[in-house]
Amino acid sequence: MALRRQSIVLSVLLAPVTLFLGVFFLMPLAIIALFSLLTPGLYGGVEWSFYHWNYGRIFGWADGLIEIFEPIYLQILARSLGFAALTVLLTLVLCYPVAFWVSRLPPRARLIFLFLVTLPFFSSLIVRLYAWLLILKPSGVLNSALLSSGLISQPLEILYTPAAVVLGMVYVMVPFMFLPLFAAIDNLDRALVEASMDLGANRVQTFFKVILPQTLPGIMGGAVIVFIPSVGNFVVPDVLGGAKGLMIGNLVEQQFLSARNWPFGAALSMIIMTVVLTVLMVSIARATRRGGQNA
Amino acid sequence: MRNPIGWAALTVFALAFFVFIYAPLFVIIGYSFNSNPVNMMVWDHFTFDWYRGLLGLADRSQDGAAQNRALYIESTDQMLAALRTSLTVAAFTTTISTVIGTATAIALARYRFRLKGVYNGFLMLPMMMPDIVLGIGLLIFFVTIGMNLSMLTIIIGHCTFLTSYVFIIVQARMAGLDPALEEASADLGASEWVTLRKVLLPQLAPGILGGALLAFVISMDDLVITYFVAGTGDTTLPVFIFGMIRRGVKPEINAIATLIILASVVIAATGLWLRSRKTD
Repeated sequence: MALRRQSIVLSVLLAPVTLFLGVFFLMPLAIIALFSLLTPGLYGGVEWSFYHWNYGRIFGWADGLIEIFEPIYLQILARSLGFAALTVLLTLVLCYPVAFWVSRLPPRARLIFLFLVTLPFFSSLIVRLYAWLLILKPSGVLNSALLSSGLISQPLEILYTPAAVVLGMVYVMVPFMFLPLFAAIDNLDRALVEASMDLGANRVQTFFKVILPQTLPGIMGGAVIVFIPSVGNFVVPDVLGGAKGLMIGNLVEQQFLSARNWPFGAALSMIIMTVVLTVLMVSIARATRRGGQNA
Repeated sequence: MRNPIGWAALTVFALAFFVFIYAPLFVIIGYSFNSNPVNMMVWDHFTFDWYRGLLGLADRSQDGAAQNRALYIESTDQMLAALRTSLTVAAFTTTISTVIGTATAIALARYRFRLKGVYNGFLMLPMMMPDIVLGIGLLIFFVTIGMNLSMLTIIIGHCTFLTSYVFIIVQARMAGLDPALEEASADLGASEWVTLRKVLLPQLAPGILGGALLAFVISMDDLVITYFVAGTGDTTLPVFIFGMIRRGVKPEINAIATLIILASVVIAATGLWLRSRKTD
């Protein structure tokens, strides 16, 4: 490597990113932490005094006067984690066989299908969600098809349910799970698979003892990349979910744009941030350990 | 494949998967040609009216059906304004994040300094931070320092995470370059700046272009951050469509959605073409 000593050029190259992200990324994150400990003002806004009941409302301590503990917030947090975990599981189950299939195709077909998987990533998120609105509506495509075929006599109520939210998230997240999985499956050492079969292991044993462990880094990578944007999502539940599909992201949005309780919204965002940083740190620690073992 | 039945089952599953991915997009495209202005879920007959409306060619004559239609098309001006805002924001965002991201990638690949590991890790954070957290953080920050929400705040918001995307793409390209060329340039007496401009940047061009393209696409599509940091006057296209969906859907939305899908196919194909050139 042509590594050079520090120079003026280096400072010039690094100054923009340092300044820009320092001011417009680190400061906003710090200010969320600060606001989560401030007193909500009467008519929106804040008073600059210490206040811990923003967290108390969520986790169970209350002053009994103004701030009352409501278990609903913990329920919504649990639901968000559950929806995100379910999204990871469903995208994994959907993508794993397909990634396997694509990796076994002839080179030209492989390229075409890989392109087809990545294409939706380039197309608008809100447009793709809107499509599901058209499909799941009581008068939508799915119900019209099912009604006219005589399979059902009443329109199915799918839209504005938790099922619709998970379906929408799975649809949006599929490319993010597919690509890391495909990379892992494509690198699979086929000689090991053949050896396992030759030595008398059946298909199921070979899959669980040879294929799955080898592709585990891809699975973990995909799981992290899908889980993180899912847990704080507010667009999908906003468009496709009803009251029972509400997630913590919607709660944050409400605090900022309708309830105007910014400190409480900041406390809720701190929870999302904590979940995300924990997941990231655990996955990095795991990856480093794994790398250390191989070395 | 040794097991033809297993392979056939896998093929059926995979094809069903691709139907699941693409069917929703074709539903939108189909409905964009439905003439029924009142209930867009009920098929009336084939029409180009919604596209004509978007292009400002709407039929505003006074007979009943057309009147009804003109009513819907009134929001077209707002939609076009939103598209203009989106394009302006994406143009500035792409330029700024490409310059900063490229400079950072060069610094981290070609220089040795103490905080290098910290920078490498730190630059991942804006990509992994959920957009709602970044969005409300920026909103509180702008309001606290007394900065008015405007197109500028949208551009700043987009650049905070897109810089990292450009950085990743350019860094990947850097890893494939031969440093000997730069060493030769330095040995032949070129200054650091000249080497950077005449030797490094031309080799990096495909990576920079790829990063810029990605930044443009993501900026055009960003909903959440824009939603929080946009002032009342400046709406981008995704936020406009989001608002339309919340207020009640109008048939023109199918036409604009179809155009967005077509545009993204073209951009993705261009990106793929660039990538295939890169590996030459």
